[in-house]
Amino acid sequence: MTTLRATRPLLRVAAVMAMAVMVGACGGAAPSPTTAPPAASPSATAAPSTAQAASPSVPASASPSASAAACGTYAGPAVTITYAMWGDTTELANQQKIVDAFHAMNPKITVKVSVSDWDSYWPKLQTDLAGGNAPDVFLMDGPLYPDYQTRDQLLDLSPYIAKDGFDTGQLVDLAVQDFTAPDGHLYGLPRDLNTIALFYNKTMFDAAGIAYPDATWDWAKLAEVAKQLTKTAGGAPQWGFYTETSDMENYWSSLVWQAGGDILSADKKTVVIDTDQAAAGIQFLQDLVYKDKVMAQPVAGGVGDMFENGQAALEADGSWLVPTHQAAGIDFGVAPLPKGPAGQATSVNPSGVVAYKGSKAPDAAWEFIKCYTGPQMQAMIASLKASMPANKEVLTNQYATSFDGGKIFAEALTYAHIKPSFKGYDEFATTLQDELDSKVFNDNVLTAKAALDQVTPKLQKLLGQ
Amino acid sequence: MTSVKGTRRGPRASEGRWVLLFLGPTLIGLAVLSAGPILATLGVSLTRWDMLTPPQFVGIDNYATLLGDDRFLTALRNTTFYTVVSVPIGMLLALALASALNQQIRGIAWIRTAYFLPLVTSATAIALVWLWIYSPTGLLNNALAIFGVSPKRWIADPTLAMPSIIAMSIWQGLPANVIIFLAGLQAIPSEYYDAASVDGAGRWSRYRSVTLPLLTPSIFFTGVLALIGAFQVFDQVYVMANPGKPGSATITLVYFIYEAGFRNFKMGYAAGASWIMFLIVAVATLVYFRTQDRWVHYQ
Repeated sequence: MTTLRATRPLLRVAAVMAMAVMVGACGGAAPSPTTAPPAASPSATAAPSTAQAASPSVPASASPSASAAACGTYAGPAVTITYAMWGDTTELANQQKIVDAFHAMNPKITVKVSVSDWDSYWPKLQTDLAGGNAPDVFLMDGPLYPDYQTRDQLLDLSPYIAKDGFDTGQLVDLAVQDFTAPDGHLYGLPRDLNTIALFYNKTMFDAAGIAYPDATWDWAKLAEVAKQLTKTAGGAPQWGFYTETSDMENYWSSLVWQAGGDILSADKKTVVIDTDQAAAGIQFLQDLVYKDKVMAQPVAGGVGDMFENGQAALEADGSWLVPTHQAAGIDFGVAPLPKGPAGQATSVNPSGVVAYKGSKAPDAAWEFIKCYTGPQMQAMIASLKASMPANKEVLTNQYATSFDGGKIFAEALTYAHIKPSFKGYDEFATTLQDELDSKVFNDNVLTAKAALDQVTPKLQKLLGQ
Repeated sequence: MTSVKGTRRGPRASEGRWVLLFLGPTLIGLAVLSAGPILATLGVSLTRWDMLTPPQFVGIDNYATLLGDDRFLTALRNTTFYTVVSVPIGMLLALALASALNQQIRGIAWIRTAYFLPLVTSATAIALVWLWIYSPTGLLNNALAIFGVSPKRWIADPTLAMPSIIAMSIWQGLPANVIIFLAGLQAIPSEYYDAASVDGAGRWSRYRSVTLPLLTPSIFFTGVLALIGAFQVFDQVYVMANPGKPGSATITLVYFIYEAGFRNFKMGYAAGASWIMFLIVAVATLVYFRTQDRWVHYQ
């Protein structure tokens, strides 16, 4: 202390500056958001069964030149490639089995898998890309794909697809569309996807003597039944309804589409979330909390999934929750989302596998991506039930029949909208969600329309950047 | 401290190279790992750069945009609020606690250890426990219910979120300050107290006229660290508030910088925000240093 005081003014300034050095690289584990798409539940009971993977009922490929398009045609030198994805340790263990199956089919390619939690995955990926040291293959969330594709970081897969005669028609069309760049080329292939539907707790419905939800349900019916199932007076409360409000995917984007609105115009140049129709969708959700009072007031950071905890009778949410709800021992069924004024709609969000443009082993990377979307490895993904396989055959023949409700999630694709995907999605979504969280969902400060009117100019400015 | 001032003013010439030798590693580290990046950041702040494609020079555009960016200004306001509240309260509590712990009573070592525990506990573990304390059905609401207070949403309510995080941070930061104060207290020679007692000073006036003035160097030192640390708050917000939520109620400057650079591909913008923060912290620290002649007493 004496020394600090005794120094000359210039040195003192230097000392101040040195002490004021900021921009610390701050660590800290973060809770992964409930909205991070297909993170397998830590308690997933259904381990992938290799027996199932080898099931003869799964046809190889409908491709005209099935030989080159099939898995296991890599003829290059022995090589090790890296594959990065988001997830937890359970997810790592699950994917390791899939990667092992790949290695059995392609003994010359060794794949090293790494996982990070959702929040640290993206900064890490950006840093690796900036350093020219990115993984050969990595997992890509549909909405964020343009951010990486437009920055010329991803390997163009179209030449490989053409060379091997790989039939992209074997994959879910909407998911392929999501990974099609403006130039018409594919810089990634969908690995799996998730749609949104309505979970219902059979025990609670039976106890109340109410018929299970079905495809005839609309918003009014949902609010009415949820009211009957809400018992908040005295004792442990039972809520009629639960959903996650902190991301558009879980429910509110579906509501916007069901009301005839949209988030962006078709050319993705204009923000249209402030129309009366779009606002009506979000208003319906606000009303479930504050007017109908059938859903607990949302809490930032979350209080946990009330449906999973047996505290709510209905939940509008994604197919990724199936293993979680099963592990929680809830006797549940699945119905399509209730219809809105403009009919039926749900959200679909694929995650895909992409290859790094600077990869030293692009052929091996392509082989891995090709196999990942092929029948054998897709069957292993399907058996996890943590997401829906991107391969149509596996989706229809295996996933849809593997549990009560699988068919509903699979068929939802016929009326699904792709989760918005454009350059700068993250900042756009954060700005929009902050407004809704603070004014509409977590607090009843503004009507949906007023909040959306307030935030739309900001969103339009972000979209123009 | 007394010895430095006592006999010799500085090192002899022959000791000069030893000084350099010992300071060398730190100075080189500072130049390469701190000064270099800081200057580079200044350059980056004048560009639009996503780290993946070549940067474009945009002059002071980033600074102009930042000063009109609601989210940045919110982050600045939140951080200032955090600093202005957490630093004085944290220091007052640490001072009171250090004084209380500076007693010769049975089991004092155990009591001190208990107060130092937060210092050696991982930040994530602390955050998890506090999340549970603050949860809608958590410890705090249950305790308040005994007094008929209705449950509060400590983290989810935009007006309560920041104060809740501040309370946790103060608790978490307490032991580091207590250690410094305790060392300062124990360095005060007992002769001063004896002399004060002979002059008829009571307990309180001994504390006010002997303890406090002699503790001012410790208070000054703790203050600098607390000020700078508070401006850089990140972990607590990141872990507790599910980044920055609810809404933008808990976003801080460092969180904003992280978000702009590593989530939104705006490294130039993030660098600009870092420089604004750097200047604010540097000026605040400089002003703080200038006040020391008026209140800091060195023995």
